[in-house]
Amino acid sequence: MLVWSRSGRFLVWTVAALLIGVVFLAPLAVILAASFAAQWNGALPSGFTLEHYRAAGTGASGDAVFASLATGVAASVLALLSGTWAALALRAQGPAWSRTLGILFFVPSAVPSVSVGLGLLVAFSQRPLLLNGTTAIVILAHFVLISAFSFGNVSAGLARLPPDFEEVASCLGARPAYRLAKVTLPLIAPYVVAAFGLSFALSMGELGATVMVYPPGWVTLPVAIFGLTDRGDVFSGAALTMILVGVTLTLLIGLERLPIAAAGRRG
Amino acid sequence: MSDLAAAPAAARPNLNGLWVAPPLIVLALSFLYPLALIARSAVLGETGAPDWSGVLATLDSRPFLNALLNTGEIAVASTAGCLALGLALALILAFVPFPGAPLAARLIDTFIALPTFLITLAFTFLYGSAGILNGALTQGFGLAEPPVHFLYSAWGVILAEVTVYSPFVLRPLLAAFSLIDQSQIEVAGLLGARPWRIVRSVILPAALPAAIAGGSLCLLLTVNEFGIVLFIGAKGVITLPLLIYDKAIQESDYQAACVIAIVNVALSLGLFGLYRVAARRLGG
Amino acid sequence: MTAAALGDGRTATQDLVRAGAASTVGFDKVSVAYRGAVVLKPLTLEVAAGEILAMIGPSGSGKTTALRAVAGFVRPVSGRIRVGGTDVTDLPPYERGLAMVVQNYALFPHMRVADNVAFGLRARGAARTLIESRVDDALGVVGMRTFRKRYPRELSGGQQQRVAIARALAVRPRVLLLDEPLSALDAQIRRSMVEEIARLHADLPDLTILYVTHDQSEALTLADRIAILKDGALCAVGRTADLYRRPPNRFAAEFLGRANLLPVVIEDDRSVGGMVAVRAGADRLLVAGDGAPAGTRRLLCVRPQHLTLTAELGYSNRIGGRLRQVHWQGELTHLVAEVGDSLVRIVATRLPALPERGGAVDMFFAPGDASLIPEEAGV
Repeated sequence: MLVWSRSGRFLVWTVAALLIGVVFLAPLAVILAASFAAQWNGALPSGFTLEHYRAAGTGASGDAVFASLATGVAASVLALLSGTWAALALRAQGPAWSRTLGILFFVPSAVPSVSVGLGLLVAFSQRPLLLNGTTAIVILAHFVLISAFSFGNVSAGLARLPPDFEEVASCLGARPAYRLAKVTLPLIAPYVVAAFGLSFALSMGELGATVMVYPPGWVTLPVAIFGLTDRGDVFSGAALTMILVGVTLTLLIGLERLPIAAAGRRG
Repeated sequence: MSDLAAAPAAARPNLNGLWVAPPLIVLALSFLYPLALIARSAVLGETGAPDWSGVLATLDSRPFLNALLNTGEIAVASTAGCLALGLALALILAFVPFPGAPLAARLIDTFIALPTFLITLAFTFLYGSAGILNGALTQGFGLAEPPVHFLYSAWGVILAEVTVYSPFVLRPLLAAFSLIDQSQIEVAGLLGARPWRIVRSVILPAALPAAIAGGSLCLLLTVNEFGIVLFIGAKGVITLPLLIYDKAIQESDYQAACVIAIVNVALSLGLFGLYRVAARRLGG
Repeated sequence: MTAAALGDGRTATQDLVRAGAASTVGFDKVSVAYRGAVVLKPLTLEVAAGEILAMIGPSGSGKTTALRAVAGFVRPVSGRIRVGGTDVTDLPPYERGLAMVVQNYALFPHMRVADNVAFGLRARGAARTLIESRVDDALGVVGMRTFRKRYPRELSGGQQQRVAIARALAVRPRVLLLDEPLSALDAQIRRSMVEEIARLHADLPDLTILYVTHDQSEALTLADRIAILKDGALCAVGRTADLYRRPPNRFAAEFLGRANLLPVVIEDDRSVGGMVAVRAGADRLLVAGDGAPAGTRRLLCVRPQHLTLTAELGYSNRIGGRLRQVHWQGELTHLVAEVGDSLVRIVATRLPALPERGGAVDMFFAPGDASLIPEEAGV
């Protein structure tokens, strides 16, 4: 306790409540309110309606929900596969190579998403690989942007895994593949699950690369929300944003509760 | 047995290193190859021959220089804001904890997982010309025009970025604070040291590495930020990522887009290098 | 847990799970370097089949490195390692037919006790019925049958270590490698576990055990032979009792327990039944010679509890001194006497009467309880 006096503490707490309230809580609350608002003429919204949500479930908005979910799942699974593979494979390298390649796998997270999108657009609008205008290029863009986070999370898990487990396993006769399946992967499962959650969340909110490459038939939620608000339909935009937030948080909380994610922590 | 013992250790060919090839090929194909093609398209004009005058024209153009300046100003100001807000919140959450502090920390943490443009949308409702603040002010004071306009300037972008990215400062700071011995602070308090003195002499030095690492990450993320700027859509606030989008998608001027992208990528990679060095050197 | 338990239908895979016929371990000039630094200098050492060999030494002595080289976790830069007469230097760990128990148990946290114990057998593709009987046997040996459904986190440290031992025994290893297995346990449990491992080895006389520890009392209790390592090199090796009674050098003498080191000069190098005459001050003593010529300066090493204050049969050597301290501690009495410039400690179990401090005292020891060691502090 840094502040001893009662009044001082209350002063500090008031400042904290104001900061957290105005900066973090108010934006979420106002979008939530707007998504249910029938109209907003004065200072505050008035009327309650589910119309924005009903609209979101059908037509173009419904397609956007599906496109985002499908892209998120596909890109996250691919990123997880590639990231886990890379993190595992780097352990067989010498320390210098391991560090260099590790940084290389991290670089995509540092490059602005719009440039990643532009690069894919330029690269895959020409032979030998024509992907322009397909859903594959959207998934590829998301994959590039989130693969570094999968790699990072799984690497962190592997770094924290004491070598004893794998050594004892191989001494007892476990071949590398058996050891990987029965010991290494189960032990880093919490990190793999966390990596998937983070990847999925990032994919759900991805905008910069998607606006560069998306084909007309595959509009993701962020692009759809931008389209709605750009046309002035902020209430439908708010409803779609709440759906995006809801889906993301539900998945993150759900993953956190998985027994597989908790196993390592309890052990 | 004796001849066996004398034999040199047989070098078994170690192919384990090759396991890294598949993800490396994927990375090369999906990331490095497109990046290389951006560089190629930046230099080659429509005709396919090197077009250096086009490159120079883009680099010397007013929109590009404005965007570069905007990007730098917004990133620096946002990072400073993130550091200030993150430090203030971290100090309170760690050392003057209140009931519900862990919940508040989690709420702030979730912003890392949420899309950045959400904040801009929320700001439209809060501070937009038809938003709560302007609505209350025009009603309350009977004004004809909404008095608050900052949202449609660089300040709107900066405030949004501070909100979105301060968790990236808060997180390492809280981790660093959790390592500080609380009894050290209590002893200092019993000895009569004022809170500010304790913060200055005990807490801040311990938090410096985390603040530098978090700050440089913020700098990188704010330079790369796109969604917030796009959603605010203010005419005067164009950053490098937005300019790339405008050139490529609105104007179909791919060469200019690629030239700007190269500058943006170089800037980002420089900041990424800075962040790695800071995190390594100071994070131990 | 006898070798006969595994008689039936042996397939190629089951052969890997063969009942561990007693295996030797051989180090032939094994040397290990890590990032250019030599951590194990060329080591030559034989472990006999069915024996417990303890490798002891301070941290950084190379004892764990030697064990890890046998397991296959580190690759020697030179030299060969044999297990049961086969050269295993180029084999990966999983083909060496060993088992290992480590300091922090390393029980797989996501598996129940029974699955942990079954791990090695499943990894080797053993038949289900074999696995069941082996797991049951192994858990029975360590007295953990009733815990088979538990998770490791639900067990105490001692129980976890028992499961780790059962997991190692279940594969019928050719050699059991124990790496500081008791260091994480508190003193009382450690003592009972030492007794338990001793009983285990009595039940499984064919099991060769390589036991790495920094605790000399564990080694003295358990080991048939002890190898002492220091700075990456073997500094002494021998049968436990011999090494304790007659350490070959100062480091071995002091690492294994308290030792009195009295400067002496070899007076007569003519060996009589291996014995030579040395002079310590005014006293002439007969001790096992080390081949050095007359006139050589040596340290006479004799343990405090090998000295008595009464002349007894066989205790033919006598040193005269002056008594400086007497500490009666019930079971034992600790005494310190001054002999020349040196102090000599004596631990006596029974004394006719407590001797007077400051008085002259005679101390006796048997020639077989002392050794001559070089004066230099190092090896």
